[in-house]
Amino acid sequence: MSKRGIKGALKALCAPLLLTLGGCAKSGLFLLEPQGVISRVTYHYFRLDVGIMLLIIIPTALLAIFAMWRYRKGGRGDYRPEWSHSYLIEAVVWGIPLITVGVLSYLSIKAIYEVNPYNPGAISSKGSASGKPLDVDVIATDWRWLFIYPGQKIASVDRLVIPAGVPVRFRLTSTSVVNDFIIPQLVGMIDVMPGMRTKQTLVADRVGRYVGYSADYSGAGLSWMNFETKAVTRAQFARWVKKTQAAPQALTYAGFNRFAKPYLAVYHHRMVFGHVQSGLLDHVVEEVMSGKVWRTPMAMTENMVRYMKKQQANVKAGEY
Amino acid sequence: MFVHLQGPWNPVWGRLSLQAIPYQNPILLGTFTFAMIAALAIVGAVVYFRAGPYLWREWFTTVDHKKIGVMYCLLGLVMLFRGFADALMIRTQQAIAVGPHSPGYLGALHGYLTPFHIGQVYTAHGLIMVVFAATPLLVGIMNIVVPLQIGARDMAYPYLNALGFWLTAAAGALVMLSLFVGNFAHGGWYGFLPLFELPYSPGVGVDYWMWAFQLSAVGTTMGSINLIATIVKMRAPGMTWMRMPIFTWASLSTNLIALTSFPVLMVSLALIGLDRYFGTHFYTAGQGGNLMLYNDLFWVWGHPEVYFLILPAFGMMSEIIPTFSEKTLFGYATMVVASFAIGGVSWGVWLHHFFTMAAEPSVNSFYSVTTMLVGIPTGVKVFNWIFTMYRGRVRFELPMLWALLALFLLLVGGMTGMMNAFATSDYMWHNGVFVVAHFHMMVLLIAASIFGGVEYWFPKVFGFKLEQRWGKWFFWFMVLGTAWVFVPMFILGFAGMTRRLDYIPVTQWAPYLRVMLVGMAFYVMALGFFVAHLYVSLRDRVKNRVGADPWGTTRNLEWMTHSPVPAYNFAYIPHVHARDEWAWRKEHGMASLGNESFEDIHMPRNTGVPVLLGGLAFVLCFALVWRIWWLAAAGLGAVVLVIILRSFARDTDEVIPAKTVAGVEGGAQDALPAPARG
Amino acid sequence: MSASTNTRAQPGSTVLWEKGDAAGHDMLGTRTFGFWLYMLTDAMVYAALFAAFGVLAHNAGLTSKSMLASVFDAQAAYRDTIVLFTSVLAYGYAMVALKKGSRGGVAIGTAVAMILGLVFLAMVGSDLERLFSQGIVPQLNGFLSIVFTLIIYHALHIIVGALWMLVMLMQMGRDGFTSNVVYRLINLRIFWHFQAVIWVLLFVFVYLQGKII
Ligand code: HEA
Ligand code: HEA
Ligand code: CUA
Ligand SMILES: [Cu+2]
Repeated sequence: MSKRGIKGALKALCAPLLLTLGGCAKSGLFLLEPQGVISRVTYHYFRLDVGIMLLIIIPTALLAIFAMWRYRKGGRGDYRPEWSHSYLIEAVVWGIPLITVGVLSYLSIKAIYEVNPYNPGAISSKGSASGKPLDVDVIATDWRWLFIYPGQKIASVDRLVIPAGVPVRFRLTSTSVVNDFIIPQLVGMIDVMPGMRTKQTLVADRVGRYVGYSADYSGAGLSWMNFETKAVTRAQFARWVKKTQAAPQALTYAGFNRFAKPYLAVYHHRMVFGHVQSGLLDHVVEEVMSGKVWRTPMAMTENMVRYMKKQQANVKAGEY
Repeated sequence: MFVHLQGPWNPVWGRLSLQAIPYQNPILLGTFTFAMIAALAIVGAVVYFRAGPYLWREWFTTVDHKKIGVMYCLLGLVMLFRGFADALMIRTQQAIAVGPHSPGYLGALHGYLTPFHIGQVYTAHGLIMVVFAATPLLVGIMNIVVPLQIGARDMAYPYLNALGFWLTAAAGALVMLSLFVGNFAHGGWYGFLPLFELPYSPGVGVDYWMWAFQLSAVGTTMGSINLIATIVKMRAPGMTWMRMPIFTWASLSTNLIALTSFPVLMVSLALIGLDRYFGTHFYTAGQGGNLMLYNDLFWVWGHPEVYFLILPAFGMMSEIIPTFSEKTLFGYATMVVASFAIGGVSWGVWLHHFFTMAAEPSVNSFYSVTTMLVGIPTGVKVFNWIFTMYRGRVRFELPMLWALLALFLLLVGGMTGMMNAFATSDYMWHNGVFVVAHFHMMVLLIAASIFGGVEYWFPKVFGFKLEQRWGKWFFWFMVLGTAWVFVPMFILGFAGMTRRLDYIPVTQWAPYLRVMLVGMAFYVMALGFFVAHLYVSLRDRVKNRVGADPWGTTRNLEWMTHSPVPAYNFAYIPHVHARDEWAWRKEHGMASLGNESFEDIHMPRNTGVPVLLGGLAFVLCFALVWRIWWLAAAGLGAVVLVIILRSFARDTDEVIPAKTVAGVEGGAQDALPAPARG
Repeated sequence: MSASTNTRAQPGSTVLWEKGDAAGHDMLGTRTFGFWLYMLTDAMVYAALFAAFGVLAHNAGLTSKSMLASVFDAQAAYRDTIVLFTSVLAYGYAMVALKKGSRGGVAIGTAVAMILGLVFLAMVGSDLERLFSQGIVPQLNGFLSIVFTLIIYHALHIIVGALWMLVMLMQMGRDGFTSNVVYRLINLRIFWHFQAVIWVLLFVFVYLQGKII
């Protein structure tokens, strides 16, 4: 089956959705509409993999249907109860999967190196992206995302702004529990773990807004732990940086301790910090390694109804 | 010595207080009322029919492998029902709570469940389905069938068998209790570290999860020791390895997996316990702990565990398909090899459950390849089944329908499994509903072969066939439900939807979530048909009485003795001459060569000790959950004492006199098999 | 060719049923085999714990080695080893006596083994006591958590073993060498030897680690 065919088939399956949306551009099928270098490469291999597997699975299904239909009781197949072994068949049923797995393994390994989060072959070799890479430090708290731009000394909460066409290099850590960072249309998942630092790299193809979220269960606030990713032109990005740097709030180590307290980001209190104390990510990693915890209060687990009412009231009163 | 807790504690009640009972929650209140009514109805019926002594004598204290097997299956069914109720809650919540402006009910912001509550629901769903529904059902079937297939009178250790069951039942009871006293873990069935550490999960939920899991692991390990020893040591004379029925082979391979992997699970859980109770630092993020250690230990069990579930399912398919194709299994030897290959490779793939942990590309490559390797022996199995039907005479009776459904589910589940194994694709949907849909294909395959196996062996155990009409309705509505729930779920997987959401932020996904509700409606109807199926079968049980070989084309030893099987299984131990001994005897006209004279038979005597130990284990774990130290100490002491005292018991056997045997055999003589059909 | 037809049958002379009870199952073999299976699960538990030890020691890096060298007393552990091995030896003597059917011999061997087991426990216990009193506790860091868990888990086995020996002494006194008693004595030997083997691993990886490796 051709690659186009697969995509077409998948799209056809999703017809009810397209109908309800009328002409809306975004189908919500994020994985089938990659908008970045990494996600495109991933998608490419995904289609190869599916195609090859279908080459085996579909004939197998057909064979099964054929066998049960043709040899049904009262059917036309001849009945030969003593037939229970054949070296030829054995060789084929071991051989074909073996060869297939061989091919798939080759593709899989190749793909793994191409989208390796730490040093993706797809970005470093193809040179598809130009310009100096942008560094972003990501800290996942319970349950918000903090994006720090160490070069610009600014930070943004629950909103990631990046220039399109430029490689963005992330360093990620978490304050308390494990999260999983993903922007489905741009890049796949990478674990964000307390006391550890992981990396990820992406390049956005074009300007646009993309959804990002945490994929790993991290507690009561997980479902709201999503963020908006805005890919903008380089000029727009520069303007955004300038504007943000003018913001009054600053983030210090001490301030971060307060910020990192458990908070259900139901109303996406998006904020920016005009200045960030340098080395915050490393500082957090070190603190967590030496035993710092931001504990979850009982009220946020056992009796959430009351807690959420209270938070709702606080938000209205202007606190966060 | 013990860690500091959030919230009150006192020496008498531990953490237990009236607040632990969630009486303000209308859903739980409703469930509680329902459970109470059901319990009262059952107790009432028992008292009314004066069934208490009978139940105690014949069932609770039994050491008969068939009765224990039946009890395992009942436990599994009840838990399957509970698991299904949980699935219903998950699906309705997700259908309601989508989009920023979705309404909230019962104090929730969106949907009708708070995040913490729905977290408990799917954790309970996952754990219950895997550990308390699928496992007991499979263990139950193996318990019943394996000794019969190898021509043994009982398991190697009947007493241990009963103990294993009662420990599992105690664990199940613990999970059920968490509904009404306290709460359950909220993070997912396999636990997350450090989320499950005390600072982030301060309540008793994780403790319930941990102890129930742990207790059932002990029970399952005991079961596996028993089954392996039975298969290795108790085979009838003449039954060489290569004459063993294929389901017995499957049981052997699966229990070897259990034997070696469950201890690792126990360790991974126990270390959480040490962290939570004593404040050690195994899995903490700081102070030299290592949270990845948990993932490794858990999935070193977790992956073999899924093959522990699927191998017996494959075994059942390999029994059912030949019977209803009226033909021997194609490629018996390769089937055996494939089972062990799956079991063996299963040890080297666990890392595929966390490809996204930023391991070296070489590491991910290795595990990607090993994972795909499993597809080869599995594929061989699929082809062997197909070639078993090929040149056969396929009859589409109920067990066969279930087996064929299982075969097709395996193709879908396997296809998607291979897609998961392709690591870079997994980066996109790990922790997404695509994975959820993948494994539901697989677990529903297991459910399907369980239903097939139950239909198939039911007449053997109870002496009458289940009726087929309602059963077929049940079957087709399960198919419909599966299609309508899981096709949309696969699509949502491509959409990038993640798992365990209490609220779905992306509005475009709403239509699919609603369509899945239709599937749930089909499932609910299926449940109704299931009940009707059981009811009608029980009503017409006299009409549907059958002889030893109800299907006519069966092949193994278990079909040689009477239905229902007498307590001692075989009046005489059969001598085995061929693979598919029963088919061999039928072919050579030896099917009805009965016995004339009978001898006394030694059997183990019933005992109440396993029930007692199960009860004490329950008390012990309950006390530990609530940190009632005195009760825990008392419980532990009592367990040790009972074990020691039991070891002093002298006569644990009894004799079934020859006269009784002759009576049973004589009475059943007419029920002996008619010659093979066709 | 069908598997079921590959053996020719002679209806008159073919044996279809085994007469006689239990068809000659060897109970001792079955009981011991099952116990070996149990030992395998215990071995897996230890394997998982040692794997955790490896991981956490790796985490702790150099500090783990220096800590092992400075706080764990290899000489005391060596004395523990001698005691435990003597106990195993005593139990071995009991097994020899069992072969001869000498009740007194078995009783003495078992009693000595039990007492030595208790002595071992006391010695390990006092060593732990010393460490705890110096503030070296499992709660300090992940590495110490696993070290103490290993030691204590092994000690729990020794307690179980000693208790088992006590029970066996009583049952022997009451019943003599009934089949149940004999099975249990033999299984106890497997158990006890196994604990000694585990102790050797502990001795090497925990007590000697910092010194020579
Ligand atoms: C054996 C395992 C098993 C089985 C059979 C099922 C069956 C089903 N599961 Fe489950 N599921 C899991 C194991 C299983 N599941 C696991 C491990 C998870 C992950 C949990 C986690 O995230 O941690 C999960 C998670 C999970 C989710 C994901 C939640 C999320 O993460 O977003 C959903 C959502 O729809 C779901 C739905 C269903 C449905 C609709 C069924 C249906 O197929 C159910 C159909 C069943 C029936 C219709 C049963 C009928 C009942 C009887 C015949 C018995 C009757 C008995 C009496 C009357 C006594 N399951
Ligand atoms: C019984 C249950 C069961 C079974 C049998 C399987 C079988 C397989 N599983 Fe599945 N799996 C689960 C239950 C199961 N799984 C569960 C419960 C989870 C998630 C737990 C959680 O997170 O909560 C999971 C998760 C899971 C993951 C992790 C996904 C993630 O979390 O990101 C992966 C990744 O590789 C995977 C792969 C596979 C593969 C390759 C197989 C293979 O064994 C499939 C082999 C079968 C075939 C391939 C089809 C038949 C073959 C042919 C017709 C021949 C042709 C084939 C070839 C050419 C190869 N599974
Ligand atoms: Cu996994 Cu750090
Ligand atoms: Cu797996």
